[in-house]
Amino acid sequence: MAPAITLILGGSLLLAASLVLKSGKARDVHGQRNGMAVASLVLLLVAAILGWIRVVPDDLGQGLFRFDAAALASERLALLGGLIVILMSWSTAPRAHLGEYYGCLIIMIGAVPVVGASNDLVSLFLGLELISIPTYIMLGIVKNDNAGAEATIKYFLLSAFASSFFLLGVSYLYGFVGSTNLQVIQSNFATANRLTSLALVLVMCGLAFRVTAVPIHFYAPDVFEGTSLTMAGIMSYLPKVAGFVALIRIMGTGLNSQTLEIVVPVLFVCSALTMFVGNFLASAQNNLRRLLAYSSVAHTGYLMLAMTALLRENADPNVLYSYLAAYAAMTLGFFACLGEIEAAGGKTQLVGDLSGMFYRRPAASIGMTVCLISMIGLPLTAGFWAKFLVFMGTVAAGTKDPLSIAMAVLMAFNAVIAAGYYWRVLSKLFETSDAFVPLRVFRPSLFVAYTICVVLTVVWFFVPAVM
Amino acid sequence: MTLIIPLLILLPLFVGIGMFLAGTKAESLVGLALGASGLVLALSLLLLFQVCGAAVPDSATNGATIIARVGYAPDWLHIRLPVSVDGHPIYWHLQFGADGIGALLVLLTGIVGFVTMIMATHQIRERLVSYLALILITQSMLLGVFLSMDLLSFYLFFEAVLLPIILLMNGWGNKAEALKASRKFLLYTLVGSVPMVIGLIGIALQSATPVRPSTVSLELLSAIAKESQLAAINASPGDALNSVSILASKDQWIVWILLLGFGIKLAILPLHTWLPTTYAVAHPNTTALIASVVAKLGVFGIIRIVIPLTPLALSTYAQMLFGGLGAVAIVYGALVALSQSDMRKVLAYSSISHVGFITLGLMSMNSEGLSGAAIQMFNHGIITCSMFLILAMLEQRRGPVSLCDEDCGLASIYPKLAVMMVFFTLAGAGLPGLNGFVGELLAMTGMIRVSGLFTAIAVLGTVLGAWYGLRIVQRVLFGSNGEHKSKVHAQVNGDLKATEFAPLLALACICLFIGVRPQDSMDLIENDIKRIVSVSEPSAKSVHSEIDQLAQTQP
Repeated sequence: MAPAITLILGGSLLLAASLVLKSGKARDVHGQRNGMAVASLVLLLVAAILGWIRVVPDDLGQGLFRFDAAALASERLALLGGLIVILMSWSTAPRAHLGEYYGCLIIMIGAVPVVGASNDLVSLFLGLELISIPTYIMLGIVKNDNAGAEATIKYFLLSAFASSFFLLGVSYLYGFVGSTNLQVIQSNFATANRLTSLALVLVMCGLAFRVTAVPIHFYAPDVFEGTSLTMAGIMSYLPKVAGFVALIRIMGTGLNSQTLEIVVPVLFVCSALTMFVGNFLASAQNNLRRLLAYSSVAHTGYLMLAMTALLRENADPNVLYSYLAAYAAMTLGFFACLGEIEAAGGKTQLVGDLSGMFYRRPAASIGMTVCLISMIGLPLTAGFWAKFLVFMGTVAAGTKDPLSIAMAVLMAFNAVIAAGYYWRVLSKLFETSDAFVPLRVFRPSLFVAYTICVVLTVVWFFVPAVM
Repeated sequence: MTLIIPLLILLPLFVGIGMFLAGTKAESLVGLALGASGLVLALSLLLLFQVCGAAVPDSATNGATIIARVGYAPDWLHIRLPVSVDGHPIYWHLQFGADGIGALLVLLTGIVGFVTMIMATHQIRERLVSYLALILITQSMLLGVFLSMDLLSFYLFFEAVLLPIILLMNGWGNKAEALKASRKFLLYTLVGSVPMVIGLIGIALQSATPVRPSTVSLELLSAIAKESQLAAINASPGDALNSVSILASKDQWIVWILLLGFGIKLAILPLHTWLPTTYAVAHPNTTALIASVVAKLGVFGIIRIVIPLTPLALSTYAQMLFGGLGAVAIVYGALVALSQSDMRKVLAYSSISHVGFITLGLMSMNSEGLSGAAIQMFNHGIITCSMFLILAMLEQRRGPVSLCDEDCGLASIYPKLAVMMVFFTLAGAGLPGLNGFVGELLAMTGMIRVSGLFTAIAVLGTVLGAWYGLRIVQRVLFGSNGEHKSKVHAQVNGDLKATEFAPLLALACICLFIGVRPQDSMDLIENDIKRIVSVSEPSAKSVHSEIDQLAQTQP
């Protein structure tokens, strides 16, 4: 747990630091900004080193936390996302609340491995709330206008609503087994009955909020539109990782066929709806933020489809982790590019605002192009393997269940619908316009952020095993 | 000399990427691009000779229907995918190699790439270096498809071709419509090719048994497929587990998905609407490449994957349907070509018509039809390429060429160009002695054993083919009533320069050579076709009892 503890303690320290930071006229804004960002990066580095040198014992035990593959994968995903997100925040964090912002961000990053390592329903819920509560604060401080307030309130209320669903499901699980230990619960899945299925479906409802799955997806466009770009990037990634890791944690192993008969169709329906709603509404959007929000909803649909293969043990959870890693690189990379354009004085609210951006800001546009190609899922990018692995798992499940193959085909057609709107954005970048003004302000941190993403996107294509 | 294959794929790729990154100002790189392309052509010729010279593997030893005669599959090209399916880790062993059909298409890619690049130096006025770089990258991807010997590499290159093609369309096409047309092209192709990956994964995963991990190697897969298909065909009537219908219905979804993907690429009739817009919007020089090689990817996919790996399901569900569609496409394409006035559209629809012959040959699933289809792939590539190149030169001199223009009567102004145009039109129309005749005749010979009706429709198409071909010649070269001479002499650029004439002459020589001596190219593919037919023909016969009845009724 050393990395997670480091991050959460460090985050708390940064929060406390905000009390002693000078405010008012004597305040050295740049110094504070750089200092905070560097401190966060150092924390991340320490956490990464601690994770690197950790020796995992053979006997993982039965305690609150277990360091199995899911824990390690979630830690890696959190650190990867964290690095990019902190780089993105460097120049975009709200000046007035630096301490709070970085503190909350670091705690969020640290909470993902807490969820991933949880071996108990209580610690799992703790981890999930450690992600939600800082999110409320951050949403409130990054944008101080009506849209920001609306986003915050919407997110807060829905999050509480979803958590109650989650807790209801968890209480049924406890009632069924008499223990909150996940290993004990999973060993009892063999004798599961309808009530367990109900409990699992309720848990999925609760987690659907975090991963922005239909039917609890509708906050995403409003929140993405109402908050800053960096925050939208954070919200599209970290809660999604936590949500899926939590799903894997709770029901990843040991489901019996009776439970699967209920859970898998529910996931199928959810996944199909999520894909279609996400893709169709994204196709109809002219607002870039809302388009990205719906695209993030659509990606959740693909991930939920991979989840069905995983539940039936046709594929291992690496499918999900690889997808999330590729997703991190392409989505956060795209947000970082947009962030750089905005920091340089361009507008990024509407798709049309990107018109001719290639001639105004070539580097960021090339970055966006690579990320968009990855989102479409064409070869030479990590996005190709992400979709390929989901197809692979789903087809493997299809040897016993033809519906699974039908779902894979459905997903393929959805990917094509998605290609339509990604292509719309992509072609805007290269539109020739007469009156374009080059954007010359250079933000090294954002540049580094999307360069990392682009390089990872391309490199992972050639070495998929390290994804 | 085992390095020929990686060199063929990587050389144009690296040169292309390097030139693309070097930017548009570096005019001196044009020579480098031409050199690289010439080297690719030389390498593809070398590969062809190696394939010819290589000992033909004995198919009886392992039963595979697809065997690389020149192979490149080192052990280190072994990629672990981050997933395990049903408890087995998944590896991807990249395998490359060329058999006769592959080598033929590699040669086609080499020729077409080199010729289009030479022509581009005359045609393309802006950002020439980037254009050449993209053509090189396209060439590399195409060679990758033709040389890959496993499903995954095949699919990767198949998909990757899209990217440079779309850039070529957008950067040098008709500016007003390029974005729209390329969106249509992208979405159309993706509708076919994204689901296709599911079918390919299905084939690979089905090959797994408790003792054998799943494989993507075409050689192994084809051996497995042959074994299971022949077992089903030869099974005793009472054998419920092993019958033709069970195997066919098991593979049914795979065949439909693959045929959707390949069908869109080869523009089979109801899925063809991307083709005219794409051809009309892209620069004719680009179209020469797209029409002659990229459109062949679908045909190649069917002959490489669908027919050898799932012949029973193909003949049960889709053989007659696709054969019929091919026959209709021949007539439909010809009729639409007759009614168009824009020459780009005329050539686009004539391409649909010609691809119909190839489909017809493929769906006969016997040795005549398949060899016809394979030869016609090459022939049609050469002819279409030349026609679009001629169109490009005409457009450069006259602006858009319409068959209704008053001033059409270009033969007197451009005599050399006129000769070439007449020659290739006749080759396309299937004049005996030229290459178009060989492929079309073989394809129809194959089809007549399967269905007399489809062949009859196809024969009708050859008549129409001569009609629209001669219509082009008459209207463009000699004026609508044969007396018109061009009134616009001011813009005249002069006849073909030597560097424009020489490539066309070379292409014409190839046409003539294959037309007069088809035996050489037939020898090249004969063994591969024989092996494929050893599984495809019994499948077709076991499903359709009417096959070969025409031959049997005659004494």
